[in-house]
Amino acid sequence: MVRPLLLTQGDPHGIGPELALKAWARRHQDQLAPFALIGDPHVFQRAASALDVNAPLRESATAEAASLFDHFIPLIPIAGATPEAVTVQAIAEAVRLIHQGEARALVTNPITKAALYKTGFAYPGHTEFLGALAEDLWKTPAHPVMMIWSELLAVVPITIHVPLADVPRLLTQDLVMETARIVDRDMRNKFGLTTPRLALAGLNPHAGESGTIGREDEDVLRPAVEALRAEGIAIVGPLSADTMFHPEARKTYDVALCPTHDQALIPAKTLAFDEGVNVTLGLPFIRTSPDHGTAPDIAGRGIARPTSLIAALKLAARLQP
Amino acid sequence: MAQTKPVIALAAGDPSGISLELLAKLLADDELRQAAHFIVIGDRRALKEGERIAKVHVDIPDWAGPGNAPDFSKGAVLLDLGHLDEASLTTGDSSEAGGRFALQNFRKALNLARDGLADAVAFTPFNKHAMRLYDPSYVDEIDIITAELGGGPGREFNVMDNLWNARITSHVPLSKVSSLITRQAVLNGLILTDRCMREAGFAQPRIAVAALNPHAGDGGNFGHEDDDEITPAVADAKARGIICEGPFPSDTVFLRAKRGDFDAVQTMYHDQGQIAMKLMGFEKGVTLIGGYKVPVCTPAHGTAYDIAGKGIANIGATRAAILLAARLAKPH
Repeated sequence: MVRPLLLTQGDPHGIGPELALKAWARRHQDQLAPFALIGDPHVFQRAASALDVNAPLRESATAEAASLFDHFIPLIPIAGATPEAVTVQAIAEAVRLIHQGEARALVTNPITKAALYKTGFAYPGHTEFLGALAEDLWKTPAHPVMMIWSELLAVVPITIHVPLADVPRLLTQDLVMETARIVDRDMRNKFGLTTPRLALAGLNPHAGESGTIGREDEDVLRPAVEALRAEGIAIVGPLSADTMFHPEARKTYDVALCPTHDQALIPAKTLAFDEGVNVTLGLPFIRTSPDHGTAPDIAGRGIARPTSLIAALKLAARLQP
Repeated sequence: MAQTKPVIALAAGDPSGISLELLAKLLADDELRQAAHFIVIGDRRALKEGERIAKVHVDIPDWAGPGNAPDFSKGAVLLDLGHLDEASLTTGDSSEAGGRFALQNFRKALNLARDGLADAVAFTPFNKHAMRLYDPSYVDEIDIITAELGGGPGREFNVMDNLWNARITSHVPLSKVSSLITRQAVLNGLILTDRCMREAGFAQPRIAVAALNPHAGDGGNFGHEDDDEITPAVADAKARGIICEGPFPSDTVFLRAKRGDFDAVQTMYHDQGQIAMKLMGFEKGVTLIGGYKVPVCTPAHGTAYDIAGKGIANIGATRAAILLAARLAKPH
């Protein structure tokens, strides 16, 4: 039996549902592995009507989804009080199906946190929710780490959605080391690299120029790199963030770890705006998602492009569970 | 009589890399000789080395220095300071002697501009490490320009084709950035960017303002500076007639500018602009230090020690730097 990928509906008012249908329509051209949608059937039907395309949705059990995929869009229906409630339940059910071994990996469409808070959702974001679900089911601690991956560049922001002013305080040697260990482990286990090469960006301009522009690069990052190397992890740095992303430099590492959100996201979006995939490392299962938001302003108009979702589906199928 | 050409004080950069080759090539370039008159600051032996590597002949007379009228019949003159350490020529490595040569030339060029003898300053690349070997207190060009030219402190602009980038904070620790992003500092930056771009020929430069925090602070969830400092500064700037918008999340603002939505991006700290600009090919661009009595321009790339002496250095960024300096200069 081929286990399908599971693609969640995401924000019912965003572009996720229509991108899911567009991605299915390209299953042959893009040689996509079988996936099943999971969510509210009405949400997907509405998206199909708005797009005015042939979208043969077929409600399905997980086990049958892969065999239907060639001719139908398999849909695992989730019932709920509201479409927003289904958004949350679909994620939880998808993780449960993966834990049970019925599905191969999770691909999530973007959500709008503000809308979910009204349903009682109490997590800072998608990723934290997945971490909690994983700990509950697998009974092991999860430390989710966000990576933005494309064929051109893989980057991990060590701090994410925090004020820039808080980054120097949050960037501890422990955090850097724990993040690097997870990246190293998952690049081996999930991406199949024998010896992942990591590169750590400096916090300060020019990585602090030997401590003359801020001390953190010398006092926190360099000791972290030395300790990680002593553990056998192939990591270099801290490197000047502005010169580590040109093509020659990128050949020297597999993943760049960056102290701030923007140090990671600026090169990721500049190099591969449409093709970037958000991969969550540090979970006991594979999870990818497109690297864009819900874009409710263009939902239903048929103009959203499924490039990033297709990249997310392809990567999820390629990684080793 | 022909219109008066601007005079550019042109400092020879680090003698161990490609700077002398670039110097000779640009002095042999007809288009550049048409754009301005040059006072070259360096050493005749250094210029000869550049001519040898570039395989060009540069026929320019010596200038005895302030107090004497420069003879611009050849379009350029050389102020020979006689201070070159020949051991530093085209070694492909940084040295104290190379740093001294470059820094002394640069200070002299700034002094000529300060004294009204030049309308713009340009230089071929320095090596920061060499500068530090000579002067451990060296941080960046801004401090030197402020000391030697007076006025300022100015601001660095990165110019790539028609896209400009300026930043509010530069070589400061990241932990200090937040406290430096004030409404007044952002407004001052926007005023200077607007002014420099108008002087460079933009009728109405359109400036995008980058946010400080991820997702522009996400409505205050990830920091308050975007709402409390940058947004009011953008409103202040608009009220003064400056065409600007923002703050925009910094991870996509350069893509918007590159596709033509804006002429400039005003960033808040060093890496925001430098990462994006360098990825988009800024090595071929120009660094302008503006906000002083005269503009100071240099190619964005470095001394390229790895190709020193080979004669293959590309003059594109240097040419762009000279043309920008000539455009910004106000002939006296």
